[in-house]
Amino acid sequence: MIRTSGLRKTYRTGFWMRAVEAVKGVDLEVKPGEIFGFIGPNGAGKTTTIKILTGLMLPTAGEAWVHGLPVGDPQSRARLGFLPEGTFFHDYLTGREFLDFHGALLGIPKALRRARIPELLVRVGLAGAEDRQIRRYSKGMRQRAGLAQTLIGDPDLVILDEPMSGLDPLGRKDVRDLILALRDEGKTVFFSSHILEDAEVICDQVAIILNGRISKQGYLDELLSQERVGAELVAESISEELYHELEHTAQRAIVQGTRFLFEFGDEAGAEKALDRVRACGGRVRSFVPRRRSLEDLLLEGIRQESKP
Amino acid sequence: MRSLERIWVLAFNTYREAVRDKLLYNLLLFAALMIASSVLLAQIQIGKDDRIYRDVGLSSIAFFGVLIAIFVGINLVHRELSTKTIYTMLAKPLKRWEFLLGKYFGLLSLLAVEVAIMSACFLGVLVWTGADFELGLVWAIVGIYCELALVTAIAMFFSSFTSPYLSAMFTVALWIVGHLLADLRAFGSKSDLAGLRELLEALYWTLPNLDRLDFKADASAGNPIELARVGVAALYAWLYSFLLMAGAVALFQRRDFR
Repeated sequence: MIRTSGLRKTYRTGFWMRAVEAVKGVDLEVKPGEIFGFIGPNGAGKTTTIKILTGLMLPTAGEAWVHGLPVGDPQSRARLGFLPEGTFFHDYLTGREFLDFHGALLGIPKALRRARIPELLVRVGLAGAEDRQIRRYSKGMRQRAGLAQTLIGDPDLVILDEPMSGLDPLGRKDVRDLILALRDEGKTVFFSSHILEDAEVICDQVAIILNGRISKQGYLDELLSQERVGAELVAESISEELYHELEHTAQRAIVQGTRFLFEFGDEAGAEKALDRVRACGGRVRSFVPRRRSLEDLLLEGIRQESKP
Repeated sequence: MRSLERIWVLAFNTYREAVRDKLLYNLLLFAALMIASSVLLAQIQIGKDDRIYRDVGLSSIAFFGVLIAIFVGINLVHRELSTKTIYTMLAKPLKRWEFLLGKYFGLLSLLAVEVAIMSACFLGVLVWTGADFELGLVWAIVGIYCELALVTAIAMFFSSFTSPYLSAMFTVALWIVGHLLADLRAFGSKSDLAGLRELLEALYWTLPNLDRLDFKADASAGNPIELARVGVAALYAWLYSFLLMAGAVALFQRRDFR
């Protein structure tokens, strides 16, 4: 569905036209019917890569294909829905006019547009606001209008650049639900995000981009394996001596009233502490093993990047 | 989907955006007031009332038309870039030349409506004052519209690669120079400065010569204007506009939208 090979982008910026290498050889492969998370901190090269995929920027080197066609071919975007970062729309249009305009640009016949627009407005939660100008919409409503625009052509591939950014928790959940529903309909969703929890919940596959390079790429269940990377222990009724003993072996120790919370970076150390608490007559309130998360992967990548 | 349909969709949206812009109505109001003021100007001038109505009416249509072409035109193109609304459009199977042509034809439609409204005000003044109406006035208005189409193409050309302020500055400069080319050429022919004569001669033949499209003086004086002269001028304006739009497309094609 999407493939890139050695994709590079250098552009010049500022008064002195300083060269900035935003993308440094990105290789990606997104298969049909999956949710692909493109993860990375701000400035990592996510938006630049997406702009190349959507024909808004020309690559300096390397190649990219969408729907099997080179991105320079406008037909590669015939079955593509795109939501850019931010909510940049023709705000002098009403919600209905906005969707009609984008549908017409895609060549959708008028009768089909008339049928599809009310359905989409209901789907994204904008029913009743269709005759209001977009400039009078709240930020969440604008994002919903943008999502409806993305779907007006019933695309096979949906590319969303930071779709959850700036939304309240309810708005984020709605976007997550919509992405999952699109996958259930057989569509491919490629989205960028720096919000790791969202990506971890919904993605099949992720690629982590750091400083213009792919740091890790693969299916979430493989990348995050079942390997435990530590544990959190909450205990009560332990002696001061035992607290100091465990404090030395834990990554972090916090006293919360009568409770003691310890975070361990390795599972063996955590289980040893658990045995010590039990042996000394302390009460274990909870013991939660911690598995590798996207945040761990991202932090590992950042540490590796910063090594000389 | 055919390119023509996509260009039509964009042209209609450009027109719709412009007619929802308050700046346009302010300019139109001033134009109408200016045209109507010819009635007052005629009161303080002795004789030649008809000439005043025509001079003021045609000049107002030309001047406010150019203001709309340059400022509304440049604003409409740059707003798509600055508000990033162009992202969702170009991420569709839309070719960049279709985008530019859609914008251009949208602006031409807007200018046609503007010129028609201002011409109706002008005609209203002529009818109200009982002044003579001659065919030459129609040719003068056709010339104004051709000039506006050319000025819009100049504005689009500069908009395709530079900022709105520079686009406006360059377009205004070319509009002024475009009306002075004959004078500059005459000045060059009398100059002893080495190279100046050749330079001004080259500019005369390469820069858009807007005086070719200006029939206002003849129409105002009631002089006959031959249809062939109007035809050649119109052909010149549209050919020049075509070349400018081709240049704009070539520059726009390689542009990155950051």
